[in-house]
Amino acid sequence: MLPPHRTGSRFVVHFLSLIFGGSLRVSGSFDAVATDLAVAAHARPPIWRNSTILKWSIQVVVLFVVLGVIWFLADQARSNLSARGIPVGYGWLDDPANIQLGEGIQTVDSPERRLTMSRALWVGMVNTLRIAVVGIIFSTVIGVLVGVARLSQNWIARKVAAMYVESLRNIPVLVQIILWLAILGSLSSLTLDSGPIPGWLYVSQKGISLPRVFLADGFYQFMALMGFFGVGIWLLRRRLRRRQDLLGGNQRVGLRLSAVTVVALTVAWFVNPVMAFMGPIMRGIETAWGSVPEQAVQILVAVAAITGAGWWIRGFLLSHRSPAGMTKLIDDDYFKMVFAGLVAALMVLVITVIWPGMASWMINSGSDFWGLLGDKFGDGRGARPLDAMRPTLTEGRFVNFGPSGLTMTVFYASLFFGLVFYTSAFIAEIVRGGILAVPKGQSEAAAALGLSRAQTLRKVVLPQAFRVVMPPLGNQYLNITKNTSLGIAVGFSDIVQVGQTVYNKNAQTLAVFSIYMLFFLGCSLVISSIVNFINRKLAIVER
Amino acid sequence: MSDASVGVQRTVAPEVALPSPGRWIRDNLFSSITNSVQTVVFTVILLGLLRWALGLVFAEDTDWTAVATNMRLLFTYNYPTAQYGRIWVATGTVLAAVGASCGAWNINPGMTVRRLSVSGTGTGAFLLVIGVITPASTPSSIRTWIVIIGTALVLISLTALRIVDKPHRRSVSFASLLVTFGVAVVAFLWLFPFGNYGFTQGAVYAEPGLVAESTRVPWTVLMAIVVSAFFLGRETVRRLGEAGGLIRRSLTVFWVVGPLFLVFLVLRDPAFDMGYVLRVDIPIAAGFVLAGAVLISLLGQPARAELARIVGAVLAAGAVFNWMAGFMGWYPMLQKVRISFALLALLVLLLPTLAGERAARLRLMGLWAVAMVIFHWLITGMNTPSTLEIAAPPFLGGFVLTVTIAYYVMLASFPVGVLLALARTSKLPIFRVLATGYIEVIRGVPLITVLFFFSIMLPLFLPRGMGISDLAAVFAGYAVFSAAYMAENIRGGLQSVRHGQFEAADALGLTTVQRTGLIVLPQALRVSIPNLVGQAIATFKETSLIAIVGGFDLLRIANATIPNQPDFLGQKRPGLLFISLIYFVFAYSMSRASQNLETRLGSARA
Repeated sequence: MLPPHRTGSRFVVHFLSLIFGGSLRVSGSFDAVATDLAVAAHARPPIWRNSTILKWSIQVVVLFVVLGVIWFLADQARSNLSARGIPVGYGWLDDPANIQLGEGIQTVDSPERRLTMSRALWVGMVNTLRIAVVGIIFSTVIGVLVGVARLSQNWIARKVAAMYVESLRNIPVLVQIILWLAILGSLSSLTLDSGPIPGWLYVSQKGISLPRVFLADGFYQFMALMGFFGVGIWLLRRRLRRRQDLLGGNQRVGLRLSAVTVVALTVAWFVNPVMAFMGPIMRGIETAWGSVPEQAVQILVAVAAITGAGWWIRGFLLSHRSPAGMTKLIDDDYFKMVFAGLVAALMVLVITVIWPGMASWMINSGSDFWGLLGDKFGDGRGARPLDAMRPTLTEGRFVNFGPSGLTMTVFYASLFFGLVFYTSAFIAEIVRGGILAVPKGQSEAAAALGLSRAQTLRKVVLPQAFRVVMPPLGNQYLNITKNTSLGIAVGFSDIVQVGQTVYNKNAQTLAVFSIYMLFFLGCSLVISSIVNFINRKLAIVER
Repeated sequence: MSDASVGVQRTVAPEVALPSPGRWIRDNLFSSITNSVQTVVFTVILLGLLRWALGLVFAEDTDWTAVATNMRLLFTYNYPTAQYGRIWVATGTVLAAVGASCGAWNINPGMTVRRLSVSGTGTGAFLLVIGVITPASTPSSIRTWIVIIGTALVLISLTALRIVDKPHRRSVSFASLLVTFGVAVVAFLWLFPFGNYGFTQGAVYAEPGLVAESTRVPWTVLMAIVVSAFFLGRETVRRLGEAGGLIRRSLTVFWVVGPLFLVFLVLRDPAFDMGYVLRVDIPIAAGFVLAGAVLISLLGQPARAELARIVGAVLAAGAVFNWMAGFMGWYPMLQKVRISFALLALLVLLLPTLAGERAARLRLMGLWAVAMVIFHWLITGMNTPSTLEIAAPPFLGGFVLTVTIAYYVMLASFPVGVLLALARTSKLPIFRVLATGYIEVIRGVPLITVLFFFSIMLPLFLPRGMGISDLAAVFAGYAVFSAAYMAENIRGGLQSVRHGQFEAADALGLTTVQRTGLIVLPQALRVSIPNLVGQAIATFKETSLIAIVGGFDLLRIANATIPNQPDFLGQKRPGLLFISLIYFVFAYSMSRASQNLETRLGSARA
């Protein structure tokens, strides 16, 4: 039973409707028609009854309230911080860290390589990414296997997979991580002859260590050479494909291509020192990059921002054009264009006024990058691109980095196991849902065409399932990246843990939190753009 | 594995008779070569994993006395033994409400005898397997019990399948399940030799035999309460017929405010200073009740909607100013007065929508009075010192903390989530940008950083002289975090509401508020229920993060408190395994319930 419609003053109706969610999802044209009718009926409404003006005024008021609250809070924080004698800003990033990190690409301060605060945070970020990337790969593989097993014809396979999923996803991941630490911590201590396979595989309370393949000196020369070869192989592939289309039958495209690739890899493996000439080129680029004046970068970024906004607005206007002429733009459309302009203006403001150092930072890091790359190309040294090594023991503990076996410390291992098993349970459910979402007719049609079960799965079911699976899968990847922050509970030196050590030392809590936020938002952005890219690739091409 | 998943297994139609065991094994385990290989491989995997897990549970260095002795610590943390009756009263109230709700809404699990028997047989067989492969370090009494229970389950289930005519047709009522559960719990408490563990003067004592009297008796009473509350609720609603809705409505109200009452008034036991209460608190509450009543009677008539809106806007502006003044410290005022004033403004703003005839106005006045009394009672209770004599400060801890936080985070983030979702789907661009920014930023960062931020930074943001307790800060952070996810779940529901619904509402001449509140939201929320249950499960599991930011929840106790007791130095594993089991039982049953709900909602819609 609905209450009878009551007529009130339009002013307050609009006022209220704006407070409580506005005119939800009514199409623009509908509203526009309504406005037109109103205009026709009342000629021109007074200002306090003009819905457009009302809408915008209430929005601006709310915006100012929100900004005011933020400003007020920031002001409070600043006065509270200065009362405690804590400077505001990021100047502390270059201070020596004076902390020892649990693990990572650099753990202690040394004369050659200072461990500054920013460097320590960087080590934390690398640790986070390390576990996130490896975790994503492993949880996907396990998740897909379990998800497929959940739909197996075999009763035991189904039940085992279901037990795996239900038990792992219903226990908090943090509890699992800590339980793994408790389990690994109670293993035997490490000696030379311990481990399941002495010399090859060690599992002890110090961690898990196994042989590993690592990038040797020749790797970058090898990759550069392979880049050249890659272009050739791609051209060859195009030609072969065309030939296949022309001649029909089986022209053994895949076979030929893989043969050529193997040959290219072998050649590149042995003759990679020829690419040593790239070193001087890279250093040249480094010098050239470093000599770019700051103003040029500022102007470039400003121009790029303004042009980008201009292009976006142009595209937006073009998309509103129809054969009958321009569609009527509503205030929301104008807002979008103004917003694009505002974003561009903000970028210009940042590069010129707010953070002028950004230009020189961009120049420096760019030239550093090329210099670093230049160092990788030696004068004919390091013929081998990859090298492998067994775990080595020094003084009863593992050498964590450097030329040695691959070692997971217990902290890494417990976080890794916890995250991977927990996330793989969710991925398994997603994969299962995706496969179930493929209509049964598809596999029946494939069977009717005479495809084998494996072919049906590989060529018909899974590609379609992946389309459904991709967005939630991306969510899980984001989750695993964010959940690496639970490393703090087991003492793994991820970004959050290092950050906490940092702000416990210098009380720069706000600044550290802003770094957290930027880092994780950056990760989210990267992962979601990769997922979106794959999604677009997988999308059904419709005419 | 590659050929596994093509033929999708749907649930078998219930009318099909059970195949003979030999036939079933041939069809499901050895139908082809790959199938046989899978059977062998997965059997080996299963047995290996089980054996490994059992090895963890029954290892020689795992001292389960650590858990048995610290049961109270795990569930209620440092709650003083002298006042433990409060815990029982609170638990009893919650369980009574659970039972009554199940009865009042006439819960029906839709379980058939056959399904129950099949799963019973499966569980029994699983227990038998465990009894056989469990490692030698397992105490022989436990092994015997596992085997006995497993055999009993298998025998009972198989007999039930034989005796009951047409088992797939005969459904099992919730009442009988509940009674069986209660009887089983009571029987276990009075028959099963759990042993009696505890501390006397700091020393652990462990006696074989039954559980302590102080555990056995209350739980027996509690089980009786659940069962009788169920029948009471069911029969009352059935007898009352139309008026049964009142029971349901009051139960709903209980589920919103009841737990707060139990936590802050029963468990915390504030020591009210009656003189002050009479002089200050009651007059303030009475004033607001009166003011609300006057405003309702004056402005609650449909004819005065316009005036009500204007007065409401003025009052809202006043409330905002009042809050600003509070933060700036312009003039002192009790927080509860500020909040009540804001609530009053909200009431007047909603009056045009709620307005009606005399009877409706009177009902509204009654509701307002009840809400104000409850609110002021609670706030006063929270701000009064407690009578509890606790060694360590937080009176909330262990499982109670986990459940309370999870429950109220969901409850608090719900309205915020709805508003955010509406703002994000709104056509007003600034609202949309603000909501989108909030949601995406919060969803982009991990919960733990949000919790750290709130527990460390919130005191920094507050004006000097204003404080917030650690737990409250963590709770606020969690609610802020959860609201963003809530908003996304509800947005999914909002987007599923068809366009025609909006147009029909407009055609009826509803205002935007009415359209949103009466047409759009009810449909959107119904669609998002399964997602919201999923979020509730996630929220429940993620309360474990409170352990990192300083709360004494289950995880912190199992991982830090128990292993630091001199008697159980370093005993982390039993505690962690035990809390894993607690989390599992609750999360799993919630997810099963949500699956049932989803099927029912789906079939109701179809």
